[in-house]
Amino acid sequence: MTAEWIRFVAAAGLCLLGLAFEVMAVFGVNRFGRALNRMHAAAMGDTLGILFMLLGLMVIRGFSMDSLKLFLVVAFFWTASPVSGHMISRLEAMTDEELGELTVIRKGRKAGKDGAEGAGKEIESRKGSDENEVI
Amino acid sequence: MEALRMAYEWLLTGSLIILAVLIIISMIRSVLGPRIADRIIAVNMTGTMVIMMVAVLSVYLEENYLVDVCLIYAMISFLGVVVLCKVYTGVYLQRKNRKADLGAVEDNLREQMTESRETFGNGAEGRKISENGKHVREVTG
Repeated sequence: MTAEWIRFVAAAGLCLLGLAFEVMAVFGVNRFGRALNRMHAAAMGDTLGILFMLLGLMVIRGFSMDSLKLFLVVAFFWTASPVSGHMISRLEAMTDEELGELTVIRKGRKAGKDGAEGAGKEIESRKGSDENEVI
Repeated sequence: MEALRMAYEWLLTGSLIILAVLIIISMIRSVLGPRIADRIIAVNMTGTMVIMMVAVLSVYLEENYLVDVCLIYAMISFLGVVVLCKVYTGVYLQRKNRKADLGAVEDNLREQMTESRETFGNGAEGRKISENGKHVREVTG
């Protein structure tokens, strides 16, 4: 009896953790402003949310063929989700005309010297110069 | 034993209710999303939560075949996202080509500008973000 209750508590904890990740993913998708930022939140629900949820169900089911299939679902999802994320991000990077407003932080030349203010200024100046160049 | 059964039922029913609410919110986002990528992200997330719901149902109803449904749903959801991305990339490229026909001179000038900047500027270290090189901007730091 006690073992059954321990199993229930473990399953409930894992399921609630998965649900919490999913709530965070939905919250983040509604909260962020741009598609590439939204993907960050959505990927969390795709990986950790489904992993913990199905782990909880696997704990309920115990060792059986169903648990193996649930694990197979997680394994497939962990391989397929990055691929679909890559496709979505490529679509966004290709079709978004205002993607340049994103700040692409890059390692290199003037690393560490000028902080956030310098970086912000550089974005602004680059924006201005680019608009001039195009015309 | 009765208490344990009730506890499992509460857990699974509560999970289903929370997932249903999240699916509704996610579908609202897929209607609202300003760009097509936002909609695809929301639809992808809805698919994930539907898979979780089917998995929970397979335990709740003790029907084993629902796990197979879950696996097939995951495959079809992945296929749907990939096909949607391909289709909308094709739509965008087609639209852009038509625009290039109308304003060919301006587009050619712009392409020459970006090419020369990549060759003579700091383009060797820089990374191209978009395909046509229009929006190449980097920030160091």
